[in-house]
Amino acid sequence: MGWRLVKRDTPLPGGQVRAFAVGLLLALVLGSILLLAAGHNPLSTYQRMLDASFGSLREISTTLDRAVPLGLAGLAVAVAGSMGLWNIGAEGQIIAGAIAAAWVARLAPDLNGFSLITLMLLASVVGGALLALGPALARAQLGVSEIITTLMLNEVAIRIVRYLVNGPWKDPLSFGFPAAPELPDQAALPDLYQRSNIGLLIAAVVIAVFGWLAARSRWGYELRLAGSSERAAQYVGISLKSKVLTVLVLSGAFAGLAGGILLTGSSDRLVEGVGGGFGYAGIIVAALALMRPSGVAAVAVAFGAVQVGGLAIETQGVPAAIADILQGLILFGALTAAVFGNYRLVRGSADADTTETADPVDESAGTESIGTDLPGEIAGGPA
Amino acid sequence: MSEQQLIGLLIAVIEFGTLLYLAALGELIAEKAGVLNLGVEGMMAFGGMAGFWFGIETGSPWLGLVMAAVAGGGLALIHAIVSVVMGADQVVSGLALTILGLAMSAFLGTSLVTLTPSSKFTEQPLGPLSDIPILGDTLFSMSLVSWLAVFLGVATWFILERTRIGLSLRAVGENAATADSAGIPVVRARLIAVVIGGALAGISGAYLTMLVAPGWSEGTTAGRGWIAVALVIFGAWRPGRLLVGALLFGGLIALEPRLQTVFDVDFDVRLLSMLPYLLTVAVLIVLSIRSRNRPSAAPAAIGQIWRREER
Amino acid sequence: MLAVELENIWKRFPGVVANAGASLTVKAGSVHAVLGENGAGKTTLMNVLAGVYQPDKGTVRLHGEQQRFTKPADAIAAGVGMVHQEFRLVPTFTVAENVVLGAAPMRISKADLERQVGELAERFGLATDPAQEIWQLSMGERQRVEILKALWREARVLILDEPTAVLTPSEAEELGRITATMAEDGRSIIFISHKLDEVTAFCDEATVLRGGTTVASSLDVADLNAAMLAELMVGQATAVSQRRERANTPGEVALTARDITVRDLHGRNVVDGVSVQIRSGEIVGLAGVAGNGQRPLADALAGLTTSTGTIKMGIHDLTKATPNDRHRRGLSYVPEDRIGVGLAPRLSVTDNAIMRAYRLLARGPIIDREGAADFADELVEQFNVKVARMDQPIAGLSGGNLQRLLVGREVDGQPTVLIAAQPTRGLDVQGVAAIQRVLLEQAETGVGILLISEDLDELLALSDRLLVMHEGHIVGEFDPDLSTRADVGVAMTGAGVA
Repeated sequence: MGWRLVKRDTPLPGGQVRAFAVGLLLALVLGSILLLAAGHNPLSTYQRMLDASFGSLREISTTLDRAVPLGLAGLAVAVAGSMGLWNIGAEGQIIAGAIAAAWVARLAPDLNGFSLITLMLLASVVGGALLALGPALARAQLGVSEIITTLMLNEVAIRIVRYLVNGPWKDPLSFGFPAAPELPDQAALPDLYQRSNIGLLIAAVVIAVFGWLAARSRWGYELRLAGSSERAAQYVGISLKSKVLTVLVLSGAFAGLAGGILLTGSSDRLVEGVGGGFGYAGIIVAALALMRPSGVAAVAVAFGAVQVGGLAIETQGVPAAIADILQGLILFGALTAAVFGNYRLVRGSADADTTETADPVDESAGTESIGTDLPGEIAGGPA
Repeated sequence: MSEQQLIGLLIAVIEFGTLLYLAALGELIAEKAGVLNLGVEGMMAFGGMAGFWFGIETGSPWLGLVMAAVAGGGLALIHAIVSVVMGADQVVSGLALTILGLAMSAFLGTSLVTLTPSSKFTEQPLGPLSDIPILGDTLFSMSLVSWLAVFLGVATWFILERTRIGLSLRAVGENAATADSAGIPVVRARLIAVVIGGALAGISGAYLTMLVAPGWSEGTTAGRGWIAVALVIFGAWRPGRLLVGALLFGGLIALEPRLQTVFDVDFDVRLLSMLPYLLTVAVLIVLSIRSRNRPSAAPAAIGQIWRREER
Repeated sequence: MLAVELENIWKRFPGVVANAGASLTVKAGSVHAVLGENGAGKTTLMNVLAGVYQPDKGTVRLHGEQQRFTKPADAIAAGVGMVHQEFRLVPTFTVAENVVLGAAPMRISKADLERQVGELAERFGLATDPAQEIWQLSMGERQRVEILKALWREARVLILDEPTAVLTPSEAEELGRITATMAEDGRSIIFISHKLDEVTAFCDEATVLRGGTTVASSLDVADLNAAMLAELMVGQATAVSQRRERANTPGEVALTARDITVRDLHGRNVVDGVSVQIRSGEIVGLAGVAGNGQRPLADALAGLTTSTGTIKMGIHDLTKATPNDRHRRGLSYVPEDRIGVGLAPRLSVTDNAIMRAYRLLARGPIIDREGAADFADELVEQFNVKVARMDQPIAGLSGGNLQRLLVGREVDGQPTVLIAAQPTRGLDVQGVAAIQRVLLEQAETGVGILLISEDLDELLALSDRLLVMHEGHIVGEFDPDLSTRADVGVAMTGAGVA
């Protein structure tokens, strides 16, 4: 007699917020065990993380700054995801965006700040979009799974930037450290408040606008329709090929913009690690937001806080990796919680003996619903 | 190129080939059962850390290897439970596993970074065979782990193609409902396949930290887990072609530092390292064009969630 | 000797009680029919016997011994084999591999297996090539592989779930011969069907299910007649399909399709030079055994699949038009796959209701939310779709409600032509009546309808003219008033061309 999952008649209330809360709780508990095992005090560590991310306006601004690339990468993944596509390549597209922006700065270092930054950000959008174009074309024209192609291009992008900063773009003054030369001073995004810069505004506007469009526009409706069923979308005359193409390229553009903002906002030069893992974290952000573009902002801020907290505790001898561990555990916890929102665990086989525990048939209401069609007897069924 | 340089190159090809083959073989087993596990990079790092650590603690690289298998398999079990039993999306769960595995190995391995690798695998000359010129210093002197990898590859092929277990496992990966109605325990088969896959990724990691690049540091896996994922596609889900692919991709990695010094090629070698990924994309495209009029080479149930009473 | 005894089986799914105290007894060495409407719980009951579902309540006995199956493997071990309606075969495996799957010798030699499977097939007269891969086989051949699977496991009880649905009449006869051979061999065959002629031809006894319970058990087929069975199957509800009064004067030509040819992935012409004309106000019935090109023809007319030939509606040439343009010109389509083509499963009732109208409900790029909600409310109200909430995903709705929503949406705004593919399949009696009523009303108001159905009685009752399709061709045209089931049935085999 094993355990098995049985679908609930009505899902538990609270939805994704509950799932996220459970995931966070689970992550904190498991994280404590790890911290204890490594000889650290979990409570003071968590306290320190919280202080560092939300302790004051200054800390909050740091958290928000960190949330910018997470939110844009999350938006990139979610826009593709709402059509049922996986852009695993946000990491590479961030890098491509940063490379393109850096290239503009190399070509036109003497432009004034506004023009230079605008051009750099535009270039980053194009760069990200270009890296996504290949997988988008392969998927739209040939039906090649975008999961692996986008994933592979991450590694390609990492190697391109490595090549650039070690080779042709290497700063001769960097004492062997692989990095491109410093960007011109006027290429830095203006500050907004304390640690956050204009990039926060740009990201907020982009996420808000596309979140709204995804929820309310014809375009967003067509995305959701195609995401729910490609053939239903075809049936009402939506061209899947062009949708797949535009959505994946747009997705790449968002991630590219994240790269542009990272370069002009948080960094003074192009380095190998410019992607910073934001692309992969963005996938988790989007998954936790259930692929709803409108939901990524909140999750991005939460993850920004965890990451900022992680960096802060490193100064006290606790490895910053705990932040990544927490992110992973939050996702696993939330996935599990989401499953239990729709299913319950039942012991053994549901025969006469276990009818009580296995939620007995309500005989009075029983026959009411008979006669509704059983999918097993409708053509199609599970493939 | 001198004989010395040729031998150096061949040894490197064998080393990187072994490393990639072990991890890719694990991923192949999981995918044959219908489970995509994008956590290879994480499992490899975690296994590498655990193996290195335990190898030093016990003084035996082989015990370290066993520990690495346990660590990789244990991490894979999380993915298996979340995606197979709970039915969460395999892509998300696998990527989260990579993040978790990399972070866990960084966290637990903090104190290992400074340790000298006192426990290592070594060359194993095969008696008189090792006297053969060139081959004797390379193929017939390679570490026992490489022989283990070859053995595991043959065993995997044999089990998949020539036994009931393999037929059942492939059926699970092609169509879970069909396998289930034939009385095959789908969930159990997938759990076992994913855990074995994780164990092999862990072993691969231990081979990395105890032979290819002895020592532990964050980022030591350097994207090789992703190459393993790519290799499975490149090898069209066949253990034999996988070996060819592993040697080819391993060869590219081995060539990288030698192109300029050994071959005097005026070409930035860093660009060469992106070839495996681009080749994989090319193979994917060819495969999908070829499968237009016939079923694809990929196990059909990859990524699909299965529950018996779903309706 | 009783081979199978199912007693008081209950099985509930969220929102549906599929079996409410169903029972069944089957004698050893007999072919036993299980009859019932779609939704009567036949498949669920058989899945309980086959260990796929675990009953909430009730007992299962085989050859007198009580069984408690928790998985299909248990049922297989006890000697129960089931051939599901959707075949459970691995397309990339060979016939031999599929047959032995889960019951293979530990060490596999391909040649040995193929020889053994070949011998088994020969013994029961099931012609197959053990070395061929499944994806290359016809439906009839695949079914033989399924039966071989059960025989390989030495099943004493073999369940066939609507086995003839995918077969040509001659293949069905062949199947009847095979089941008789197996029964003589002492095996018990449970034959699920809702076609009376098959039951009387192939079976010894019949059990009738209705609404999840057994309403008549183990009747001798010799004593059965159609009226009796129909009443048992549908109960006191109104009998199916009143014959309609036909319009005397057909209207103008609404749609002309000429020489339509559709090619499948393997390069075969699944629709081969078909020409159809539909006048406004008439219902053109299209009959045929499943898989003879009806579905691709419908898809081609609606623009969902590429085809050659010409399609015209009035003065408009729609040959190259997108599905959306065709709809704008007044062509509506109720596709065979309700969920997945006609409706999007994860979207809400409202989102599904506006699938055709969302472009009109948009102000610029933005969809007018209130307009959409009003539109959906009206549709749901007008066509009596029962929904708990408008924002719930439609996957939770019953088949009848789904179909009312879909048909209602397609006839909204008065189309010129409506293509309805299997619009009543799988619905309960009220559901069928509701959909048929809508179709008749639409024809009354001048809509030209192409009605594709596998239910001959429905076609004979509703159509003004009846076309028969076989292997991609229209092989006959009938006047429903002057034709019998038998006439049309013969044409469906491709044998007699009228």
